[in-house]
Amino acid sequence: MKTREPFKWVAVGTIWTWLALFALLPNAMVLVASVLERGQDQFFAFAFTLASYRRLLDPLYLSVLLDSLYLAALTTVLCLLIGYPFAYLLAQAPARRRALLLLLVIIPFWTSSLVRTYAMVILLKTNGLINQMLLGLGWISEPLELLYTTPAVIAGMCYALLPFMILPLYAALEKLDRRLIEAAHDLGAGRVTIFRRVIIPLTLPGIIAGAMLTFLPALGMFYVADLLGGAKTMLVGNLIRDQFLAARDWPFGSAASAMLTGLMALLMWAYYQSSRRANRGALP
Amino acid sequence: MLRTLFAGALLLCASVVSAAEKPTLVLYNWSEYLPKKVLRQFTKETGIPVRYSTYDSNEVMYAKIKTVKGVGYDLIVPSTYYVDRMRREGLLQKIDRSKLSNFGNLNPRLLNQSYDPNNDYSIPYLWGTTGIGYNADKVAPGQLKRWADLWDPAYRNKLLLLNDMREVFSIGLRTLGYSINTTDENQIRAAYEKLVELMPNVRVFDSESPKTKFLANEVVAGMLWNGEVYQGSLENPKLQYSYPEEGATLWIDSLVISAGAQNVDAAHQFIDFVLRPEIAKQINEEVGYSSPNLPAIQLLPEKMRNNRALYPTDADLSKADFQADVGDALTIYDRYWQRLKAGR
Repeated sequence: MKTREPFKWVAVGTIWTWLALFALLPNAMVLVASVLERGQDQFFAFAFTLASYRRLLDPLYLSVLLDSLYLAALTTVLCLLIGYPFAYLLAQAPARRRALLLLLVIIPFWTSSLVRTYAMVILLKTNGLINQMLLGLGWISEPLELLYTTPAVIAGMCYALLPFMILPLYAALEKLDRRLIEAAHDLGAGRVTIFRRVIIPLTLPGIIAGAMLTFLPALGMFYVADLLGGAKTMLVGNLIRDQFLAARDWPFGSAASAMLTGLMALLMWAYYQSSRRANRGALP
Repeated sequence: MLRTLFAGALLLCASVVSAAEKPTLVLYNWSEYLPKKVLRQFTKETGIPVRYSTYDSNEVMYAKIKTVKGVGYDLIVPSTYYVDRMRREGLLQKIDRSKLSNFGNLNPRLLNQSYDPNNDYSIPYLWGTTGIGYNADKVAPGQLKRWADLWDPAYRNKLLLLNDMREVFSIGLRTLGYSINTTDENQIRAAYEKLVELMPNVRVFDSESPKTKFLANEVVAGMLWNGEVYQGSLENPKLQYSYPEEGATLWIDSLVISAGAQNVDAAHQFIDFVLRPEIAKQINEEVGYSSPNLPAIQLLPEKMRNNRALYPTDADLSKADFQADVGDALTIYDRYWQRLKAGR
């Protein structure tokens, strides 16, 4: 036991130092900056004010937030609709092939999502692969306008985030006790009833985890909307970036950041609560 | 959001990190704005290694330099009014003219501008304009003579605008006959309302590589920098440029020495090196845009020298203006910019 003491201290100490330096400190700085005044020749004037938070109440910024939430929610729902059957089939596959399929889900992670978004541009652009293929097949006579549209943005978001949905769903579906399904079947439940009353409740923790892992990053992925949507929309991420760079209003940018962090914390808390309830519900 | 937070944290923390000890010249420049061979030649001649890093907007450069007070950077290339801002805020140091034997090569018309009256702090590197670029296969020449022509419904969903707040507001203000440097909220709001009507024509906002959107036929026309048009025209000669009658926007990117520079001598040597006609010519040939170096222009191939996109006539620039610092009005611009993008 004694020999392990120093290791424990080093390990725990490293993690705490890391978190304090790279998570706590920057967030504290953002919080402090958010209650300062905008400076003329400096980024801040050291005077306390809540003006930046009051400005966030402007309907304009509310609509920016709602647009971001809507896009993130839509992405999450689509990822769930695609990811659930995908994960189900994955969990059903023979063990040997399953490892390979899982690897294929994970491989895109090896490339930066920014690079993968540029790859989407190559597929979708006017003289891109999809248009050339459709033209070659004679299905269309004029190239379609695919890039810089809302569907392009949604497709890009789903593509980037789908693995985050599949992996937790797979973990939940894999643990699914098949005997419970057989029992439900023996007791006369139809396929739809089994799915609705047995499979979904049992995999609910996976669904919630997947939804969180998709929804939260989706809120911040403004570069997908910029690259695939033609930068015609204003999302929270764009707003924050513009405050730090174009408008040089660091306090307001910090306030918007703090608000977003707060919102995410709230969602995490809701997740924690609901997953506790779901886990309790799953136990007999 | 996380990226922004993290970048902010890095910016704030960066002041703690001290610069490297080695006498290496640190050059912070726009991306795709200097051929690598020029750097190699400088190192070969002087024995001074150069560390080269790049930015893609004045705003990013300014935020970084301001946070570290310029320490760790020797030479920077800000545009027009950023020179003024950085000079006033003490982020730059005076340039010793006696160390620049080639200063006389510069076009006197590009010197002594209001942003730096005696060129005490800045030496012009390249200059250019923002005007209208169009694909002559899709737009007949002469159809886009004015900024106001962009509002034609024929261009629905076919235009590119630079993803730059001040540049976009400039075309709104100009079509209404206002100054591009106005600080009057009523005029800015009027420009916003005018720009709202332009939005259905806008297919994409981009200032990272706008020419590629033209070359890929995503857009047929839009606002563009002259150097982008020139580079794009090497690939597709149909990409052409026009100087809008209401006036183009002029800018000069200048070499400046950061107040926190540690290699002031090397920085002067580099400036003088770049002012040499052969070097200025190499840079101009590779990068496009326009050289402020008169003997260098004479060395350029005739096709470049006579290219009106790069070397405009006096009439082309008769109404052209420089962007100036708008002070606190920047937040007014920003509010209407957010509104324009959010569509309300």
